[in-house]
Amino acid sequence: MPYPEEMVAPMRAELVEMGVRELRTAADVDAFFADKSGTSLILVNSVCGCAAGSARPGLGRALRTDKHPDRVATVFAGQDLEPTAKAREHFGDIPPSSPSMALFKDGELVHFVPRHMIEGRDALGVAAGLIEAFEEYC
Amino acid sequence: MGTFHTGKSELHGITLALRTRDEVYVGRCDDMNDEHVILLDADGHRDGEGGKSADAWLDRAAKFGVAPKLPRLVLPMADVTEYAPLGEYYSGVGKTKAAKPAAEPTPAPAAPAAADALVTLTDAAVKEVKRILAEDGRPGLGLRLGVVGGGCSGLVYKSELDAPRDGDVVVPNDGFDVLLDRKSSIYLRGVTLDHQGGLDGRGFVFRNPNATNTCGCGESFSV
Repeated sequence: MPYPEEMVAPMRAELVEMGVRELRTAADVDAFFADKSGTSLILVNSVCGCAAGSARPGLGRALRTDKHPDRVATVFAGQDLEPTAKAREHFGDIPPSSPSMALFKDGELVHFVPRHMIEGRDALGVAAGLIEAFEEYC
Repeated sequence: MGTFHTGKSELHGITLALRTRDEVYVGRCDDMNDEHVILLDADGHRDGEGGKSADAWLDRAAKFGVAPKLPRLVLPMADVTEYAPLGEYYSGVGKTKAAKPAAEPTPAPAAPAAADALVTLTDAAVKEVKRILAEDGRPGLGLRLGVVGGGCSGLVYKSELDAPRDGDVVVPNDGFDVLLDRKSSIYLRGVTLDHQGGLDGRGFVFRNPNATNTCGCGESFSV
């Protein structure tokens, strides 16, 4: 059952303010993945305080480096069910988890950060892992 | 901003890998005590099932997680031989390390802070802060450490690059300043900041001698 919108609005805004595009419909997701050129990242947002509370600022930190994905978007697990399910269709057979992040290059999934690799890490720790991936793929 | 849980094990919310004599399980810990462990959204594998060893199954789980086939699984602790956070099990593609024995204590900090010291940074933390500051490039920044309300155990640590503000407690360090607001300096007295790097590291880790209860993920604490 989704949380009240007023509770999750700041969690959405935190990403939007760092330039992440929010995908609220399945059509938004289709449009995002239609462009397969270059690199793109999608963050599956979550209300989980400990993990998503590091994932969001961690992504923000990593996006401030020179090498980062061409396009960055987010869907909100548990809140926006249809676009989240649609996005996960692009994750192959990787089990769903949130928060999580998927990095694509030329339409191919090249790096995935599941929830358990975010748990217990602070934002800078999450950023460090992302920056390594950006250095390799972006 | 976050979710709040009380009266749960320190591992509440952490995805665990567990071994019993013949099986391995992965799931999000809801609670753990001397009697049992409760996993949510779990999956398990019997060694050799479908031609796949328990280690091979865990290797894949450590990379990608598991599909939630068991909404709620209760395992007697008497059956559990080893467990560890799944995020610590993974140590790189094709490499694994054994799960920690259940009784293994948390390693002591490499450089424990003196009781009256404000904040101490380990060499690894200093090195990482310097790397981040150099990468950021903005002049005049220091490392701001603080605590805010939230998390599973009441208070959450914060670390970020920031400029000094009026009223800050400034702790000079090797090449940069550690910045604390007055309120946070009370909670952070005696804290050691460490850094665990690499893909399987935890990033910056606060070791707080004053914390009476710590969230399993290390993000929050109470005093």
